[in-house]
Amino acid sequence: MESTRMESARMDSARSLSAIAWGRLRRNRVGVVSLVVVALFLLALLASACGLIAQDWDRQYALSFAPPTFMGASQQALQEESSAWAPDTGTQLDMYGLHDPLQPVLDQLRIQQAQGSGSFKGANENTPERSATLVLGADKWGRSIALKVMKGAETSVLVGIASALLATAIGTLFGAFAGYLGGWVDALIEWLYGVFTAIPYLLLVFAIAAVLQQKGVFTIILILGLTGWTGVYRLIRAEYLKHKVREYVLAAEAIGASHTRRMFVHILPNVSHVILVQLSQQVVNFIKAEVILSFLGFGVPVDVVSWGSILNETPNELILGYGWQLITCGLAMAILVTAFAMLTDALRDALDPRLK
Amino acid sequence: MRFALRRCGVLVWGVSLSLALDLSVELGLEWYWGAAGLGSGLSLTAHAEEVEPPAHRVLHISSSTAETTLDPVGIQDLYSAKLASVLFEGALTYDYLASPAKLIPLLAEGMPEISDGGKTWTIHLKKNVRFAPDPAFKGKERTVQASDMAYTLYRLLDPALHSPFSFLLEGKLVGLDDLAKKAREGKQPYDYKAKIPGVEVVDASTLRLRLNAPDANFGHSLAQPNLGIIAPEVVQFYGDQMGSHPVGTGPYFVKRWMRGASMTLDRNPYYRARPWAFESGQDPASQKVIQEMKGKMIPAIPRIEIKIIPEAQSAWLAFRRGETDLIDLPSKLSPVALSRGHLKAELVKQGIQHEIAVEPEIIGNYMNLQDPMVGGMDPAHIALRRAILMSSDDEAMIRVIRKGQAVRLSYPVPPGVLGHDPKYKSMLPYDPVAANFLLDAYGFKKAADGLRRQPDGSPLVVRYWRTNEGESRDMEELAKRGMDQLHIRFEGHAVPFPDLLKAERSCQVMMRQFAWIADYPDGDDFMQLFYGPNIHANNVFCFQDAQWDRLYQETVALGPGEKRDQLYQKMARMIEMYGVMKISHARLHHELLQPKVMGFHISTIASLAEWPFLDLR
Repeated sequence: MESTRMESARMDSARSLSAIAWGRLRRNRVGVVSLVVVALFLLALLASACGLIAQDWDRQYALSFAPPTFMGASQQALQEESSAWAPDTGTQLDMYGLHDPLQPVLDQLRIQQAQGSGSFKGANENTPERSATLVLGADKWGRSIALKVMKGAETSVLVGIASALLATAIGTLFGAFAGYLGGWVDALIEWLYGVFTAIPYLLLVFAIAAVLQQKGVFTIILILGLTGWTGVYRLIRAEYLKHKVREYVLAAEAIGASHTRRMFVHILPNVSHVILVQLSQQVVNFIKAEVILSFLGFGVPVDVVSWGSILNETPNELILGYGWQLITCGLAMAILVTAFAMLTDALRDALDPRLK
Repeated sequence: MRFALRRCGVLVWGVSLSLALDLSVELGLEWYWGAAGLGSGLSLTAHAEEVEPPAHRVLHISSSTAETTLDPVGIQDLYSAKLASVLFEGALTYDYLASPAKLIPLLAEGMPEISDGGKTWTIHLKKNVRFAPDPAFKGKERTVQASDMAYTLYRLLDPALHSPFSFLLEGKLVGLDDLAKKAREGKQPYDYKAKIPGVEVVDASTLRLRLNAPDANFGHSLAQPNLGIIAPEVVQFYGDQMGSHPVGTGPYFVKRWMRGASMTLDRNPYYRARPWAFESGQDPASQKVIQEMKGKMIPAIPRIEIKIIPEAQSAWLAFRRGETDLIDLPSKLSPVALSRGHLKAELVKQGIQHEIAVEPEIIGNYMNLQDPMVGGMDPAHIALRRAILMSSDDEAMIRVIRKGQAVRLSYPVPPGVLGHDPKYKSMLPYDPVAANFLLDAYGFKKAADGLRRQPDGSPLVVRYWRTNEGESRDMEELAKRGMDQLHIRFEGHAVPFPDLLKAERSCQVMMRQFAWIADYPDGDDFMQLFYGPNIHANNVFCFQDAQWDRLYQETVALGPGEKRDQLYQKMARMIEMYGVMKISHARLHHELLQPKVMGFHISTIASLAEWPFLDLR
């Protein structure tokens, strides 16, 4: 027992810091599973971003609120569909003695319509049969929920990662300057931090959303990034305060390293485990925040689907008894968020040098 | 009457602001009650029952939208108008049961005496009608005078007030428009004291009105909530706070008011004895109402509690828990209560009552004729607008968004309103293939990104405006689908309802779904929307066409009848032909009532609230 531990310790010392961390992570079973889950989600994200999957998420595959296949078709939906009116094109329109400025073009259109030529060729065969059930059910427009949730994952995960990167970058930069330089720089940034944390989080988010006045994925990333840096900042500032008086930094100063070099080349790698853990934690937070924002209507525009906009549709569906969209989306979100949180935990265990 | 299709504002601001503002309203009234108690103890004890009615005598109502103002001249949304209809009274009103709607006298002794070929209207007001109690009267007994009605008519055209409903009187009374014009151009205060031939106070209770031209619809103008009679001293007392201090002669007055959240209306202690005596309506439903209510007084219910519940789901749950007595069932919830248009068996078993009617309204997408991107009367842009309107899938709109609770319409005058044409056929059916053909033919070529450009190569973007709430988001999704089929770039733009109205009146809205519900049951109420001189008021399409305007003027002179119907058909066709608006549907109004509610009948005039005519078991 004792000897194997010594052995592994010796092996550790022979390898680089990242190799040690990787080794430790690999031994954590929960960590590996969550890594696989997160990786699968990222793969799906890439695939849908490249248009490999879920490209026609917007297509109407089925009837409105078609239930999942295992539940069987709903009789009511079938009846409603069959009672839909057919367009009435037969009779001549009464123009009440008016002259239509578009008449010449309309005449051509009538001829083509009658002959079924030009753009009218096969126009009627173009509408595909809409199915009565789908794998995971359909939403009100008859779109596949499975594809929609996949496409929604793209937006949500992208927002989560991008805004976490932004927030962590801002937090790290501010933390480094405030902690390392101290003095009036520290006072100024601390004041800014005070302002940001004094306002309740959701109010702050709404205020920024109102100022930006624009809807879109980029806007949400900005909103979340600009409001989410405070936690990272606090931690990094403390780390820099601690590290700037350590021997290795003093040594660097003695050999003439500049302030910037000391801050970002010497200290930064030594606090990077904190940053990495913060980053993954922020991703989880921001995925949830995007959902909340979109749920409240401050989120993505109608042509973009995200988990938040999906969940926004569900309260009314639920009262009508169509729960499949909520269940599918909720499950997907729960799995990703849990996996990400577990991975964060495993990463912290693997990266923190004090936890040997 | 313009209305938001289930609108909800930004709640947080509305409620918190109102808390601060309206405490003062409440305190003001409480103070008054205190003072009145000292001064005239008799009247208070006489009406002690009205001050605190027993719980089972209170009518509970919810509304999905908040009131905007209760100053009659400023009212333009449906819910505020309904409130005004129980707080204020005009000279005329509508019969509660009659369909098609019928004018009856309210504050007038009888129907106006019309002479001089329809140009002179003499109105005798009822004597001894008292205004509701208010500190503005300083404890004095205040009865309605002919001069109050004259003041009310003057006030609607006061240029400083910018009434959205000034069209009710514009160009109608001899000399009144000149008065407004003088004030507007001379930058001087509007002269309420000026004597004009159009409005003559004959004696304390007689008013003689002279019209510029005979107008068959003038009686409808006098019945609108915007012409509810008010007293000049109340306006002087409250100044620009009039919207928060409604003081009229109506059956109810405001007891407590949390702006945007709730309101308590109590029976007006000074309300005259007015028996419930409606007789028209031969159908069984009306007969049942008559049997339930005959011989009672208006109003029968001493107190009304109104709560603003913007969420349809919450409103429904409140109704199911018995917290509210009436619910105008939102169409998106209709599958919960209805199956194939009828009340579900379990609700019938519980004694829930169900009333149904087609709303006298038009709903549909419109395009702004003055918009730099899609406006203009050249064939290419006419084709563009028509193509855009033809891409709207009305069938899906009704089936998916309205859950089947709407009827397809294409005529600008809805059923139940004089001038409707059930045989009219739309020239703008849902037909994306034909729409694409039109765009191709007029040179809206697709660029490398697959999206169309203007014929001159400049960008083409359709900006769809909407309010920021659930159902309008669905409408935007549907519009977006249409634009995708046409390969036109689409941009959604959600703003609060008041901002939307403002933008719309200044012709800045490119496209949106518009809804108009009858103020009075005559086609003119709908056709005036498209009249050129009404741009910056009700003509939100910013549509102006000399031929159309000439036809409209003819219809006003003609009044209802076959001749006018023929002109209306031509005008309706022109609205479609120039790609102004595509009328899509009118909703079905399902009202569900708790078993204890008596006397309910969906009023043919949407702005006339049913509440004073009801009773509770």
